[in-house]
This record gives sequence, C-alpha cells and structure tokens, in this order.
Amino acid sequence: MQHLSDDLLLDIKDLNFYYRLDTFKAHSFKDLIVSKFSFSFTSWFSPRENLHILKDINLEVYKGDRVGIIGVNGAGKTTLCRLMAKMLIPQLGSVKSYGEVRAIFNPSVAIIPELTGRENAYLLAELLFSKLPKYQIDEIANEACEFSELGEFLDSPYNLYSKGMQVRLFLSVISAKTCDLLILDEIFDGADEFFQKKMAKRIKKIIEDSGASIMVSHSLDKIRDVCNRLLILDNSSLIFDGSVEEGIIVYKSLKN
Amino acid sequence: MSDIKVLCKLSYKLAAARMKARYRKTFAGFLWVVMSPIIVFVVQSLVFRHILKIEIQDYSLFLLGGLLPWVFISSILEMGVPILVNASELLKSFKLSPTVLVLSQAIDNFVNFIFAYLILLIYTVFTNTVNVEGLIYFPIAALVLFIGAAALTWLLTFLNVFYRDTRFLISFVMSVMFFLTPIFYPVEYIPEPFRWTVNINIFYLLIAPVRACTHDFELVQFFQMLSKSFGLSIFLILISRFYWLRKKGEFYATLV
Repeated sequence: MQHLSDDLLLDIKDLNFYYRLDTFKAHSFKDLIVSKFSFSFTSWFSPRENLHILKDINLEVYKGDRVGIIGVNGAGKTTLCRLMAKMLIPQLGSVKSYGEVRAIFNPSVAIIPELTGRENAYLLAELLFSKLPKYQIDEIANEACEFSELGEFLDSPYNLYSKGMQVRLFLSVISAKTCDLLILDEIFDGADEFFQKKMAKRIKKIIEDSGASIMVSHSLDKIRDVCNRLLILDNSSLIFDGSVEEGIIVYKSLKN
Repeated sequence: MSDIKVLCKLSYKLAAARMKARYRKTFAGFLWVVMSPIIVFVVQSLVFRHILKIEIQDYSLFLLGGLLPWVFISSILEMGVPILVNASELLKSFKLSPTVLVLSQAIDNFVNFIFAYLILLIYTVFTNTVNVEGLIYFPIAALVLFIGAAALTWLLTFLNVFYRDTRFLISFVMSVMFFLTPIFYPVEYIPEPFRWTVNINIFYLLIAPVRACTHDFELVQFFQMLSKSFGLSIFLILISRFYWLRKKGEFYATLV
C-alpha cells in the first residue's frame, strides 16, 4: 500500500498473542488448590492450552495514516490496540512505536467519582498528559471544561452525572491535545446527538492534526468519514489492509 | 522527566485528590481516620499494662513504636489489595500504570499514619522519657517502612487480580500475625527455641526500626534493623516487579 509519508510511527512484526487458558481456570487460591489435587495423570503430558487472540500480524503505520479497524466482536481489535499502546506484551513478535502514543478505550469513566466534574477533568488531564508542565495541564483542563458545555454541572459531584455528561467531559479532555499516534477504540458511544456532532468535528480535527490515528468502530459511516486506510480482522488474523471503500466491500462480503 | 519521577508525581496527585474527596464534606472523616489508631493504642495500652500487667519500662512508647506501624501495614493491605479490581474500568480505559493506584493508596495511608504517630508522640513525650537522638532517625525508619509496606501491597494487589480470595486470606493472616508478631510484647517474651522466627517475620522486620527510634534507641542496633528492613523492601520490590512482568500479558484480560 502507498503511504502518505516515510515517517514510520508504528512497526508490528510477526505479532502473536494468546492467553494461557489455565490462568482463567483458577480465579482463587481455592480453585488453584482444587485443580492441583484433581489432575489426571495424562494432564502431566498434555501440552498447555492457549487461546490464540492474534496470529501473525504484520503492520506498519506512517505519519498521515488514518487507519480504521473493523471486524466482528471477538476478532481481536481491542487486544491489538492494547498491544499497540504497550498495555500488553506479545508472546511472539514485536511492537515498536516511535513518538507519543495515546490510546482511549472507554469514554465514560471517572477517576474519583466523589470529586466534581471539573476536578476529575484536571485529574484526567494530569494522568493523560503527565509529562507536560502544570500550566499546560491547567490550560488543557480549562479548555476541555469550557468545550464540554456542562456549565454549573462542572462543580457538581461526578457520580451524579448521566452517562452522556460523563462522555462529554471525558472526550473533551482526551481530544484537547494532539499526539504522534492516537488510538481510539469505539469511543463515540454514549454522548447525546447534538454533542456527538460537535465532538465528532473536534475528534476529526485532532485525528487530522495528530501524526497518525487508529480508530476501531462498528460504524462504517464514521470509518468512511475519518479514515484513509482500513484493516479487517477476522478469526484473529489481519485479512485486509488497503483502501476504505475496497475494505468495506470485503467486510460486507464476509458478513454475508 | 524520568518514568519514576512521573510515577511519583501522579501517585502524589491521586493520593491528594482521594484525600480531598474523603475529607471534603466533613472534618470528622479526617478525625476518624487519625483517631481510630489512637483509640486502639489507648485501649491496648490500658489492657496490656494494667490488666495483663506487662512489665516494660515506658510501655506507651514501646506500644506506640510497634502498634502504629502495624495499623499502617494492615490498613494499607486492607485498602490497597482490592484497589486494582475495584478500579478495573479505569485501568481498561486508557494507559495508566496500575502502580500509580497502589502507590497513591500507600501515600494516603502513610499520611494518616504520620499524623496519628505525631499526635501520640506529643502525648507520650510528656509522660515518658524520650531519647531525642532516636527521634532524629524516625524519618528514615518511617520511609523504609513505607517502601516495604508499599512493595508488599504491590505484590499482593497483583496477586488479588488473579486470585480473588487473596484479600480474604490476608485478612485472616493479619489477624493471626498480630499475636505472633512482637508488637505489644517484646521479642524476649518469645521462648528461646522459637525466637529465630522474628527474623523471617516480614512485619516485624519492617516495624522494628520504627520502634527502635522511640524505645531503647541504640545506634548500631538501629542500623542493623534498618538494613534488614531495607533489604527486605528491595527484595519485595524485585519480586513484585518480576511477578508483574510475568503476568502483565494476562492482566487486562483477567481484570473483569
């Protein structure tokens, strides 16, 4: 595929990721002890069972790429994004990123729900942009509070907010600053329709201004609107990497 | 800014925000957190000295140096161990080091410990003979106690993510260890054949240097205790880090 620039921001080579199933069989020490005493003799010789989430993924993301990722539930989209964000470590292969990577997976979470929305916005800005000086963090939080249009509610406890209000505030903070690689995993759900339009415009702007972006979404319209490259994950493998329109045709044929 | 510096900064900010949320509505909240170890101290002091007739010179100082660090360790374990499971939504929302949450809880508990300790110290200074030289070394002993207790919590917190009954086991172990650890009685009360057990009792090893500052201070002995406590703290940090790196791949999948 032709890339918009030669500036490599993400390089994934021969990536394989799996979970060891025995980890999920024992959720407590009680389960662990029971499983150790109830093994069969053959279990000594049987290979360890793994659940393969991603198989042999190779991917390069360059500056200017606005990558959409689609796939049915359980295809491995979120896991791939977490690996890109270095929240997970692959068992095989490598994930190398160059520059600042920011990944968001859920837009309606509170840092400390008992604090006000404004205080949570400041705290979120501290956590997300921790390497910035204080005055810049304050600027980001102030601007985000203003953009969220929550008015007097900003000084009410966050745990009294509706889901829509939480999403407004959270998205306002995360979309306040660009980065080299922005990863957004299904973050558009929850905000009310008016704010969705306003936020979509802002997110689109931040995506355009960031070095590159990766967006997971089930909405093909959003993918068409924002992305210039599409990846399709199916059965733990990357089965398509190319233009958005071609990818959507492939995806629809898969669904049929 | 180095990663450790960022980690410390975020942990401090989060601890301050958590304390602000807790103590905002009522000063009584702060009073209770500080007063509860003081009440435990007063009751135990009366019971052990006047009812069980424990014969130790300056018993208030002796108990202060042992009981308050014990209350600190048990409260940090009680509040810190379930913290990652309770904050699973937050941890899965964006890249946030789990260590920040654990460390912020440790700072929160440490501040309460220092306040309660100072209040009781002022009282005991008027009723007992305090060795001022020992008090000079209190900050370093308290710091090593903090590092060791935080590292132990770090390890058990990760363990609790994979084995959810860890917190209940800890609660049981703590109630047993309270009687097996020389907190309200001196090491000499342990029969000679079993006295070696204090050298493998991690709670005693962490508490001993703090106690040495206020009761029977002797410089050489203090530094021997401090080096053991520091060595244990480093060992706990290394084990916790090893366990975290080994289980990091399954951490987010287990964190439901």
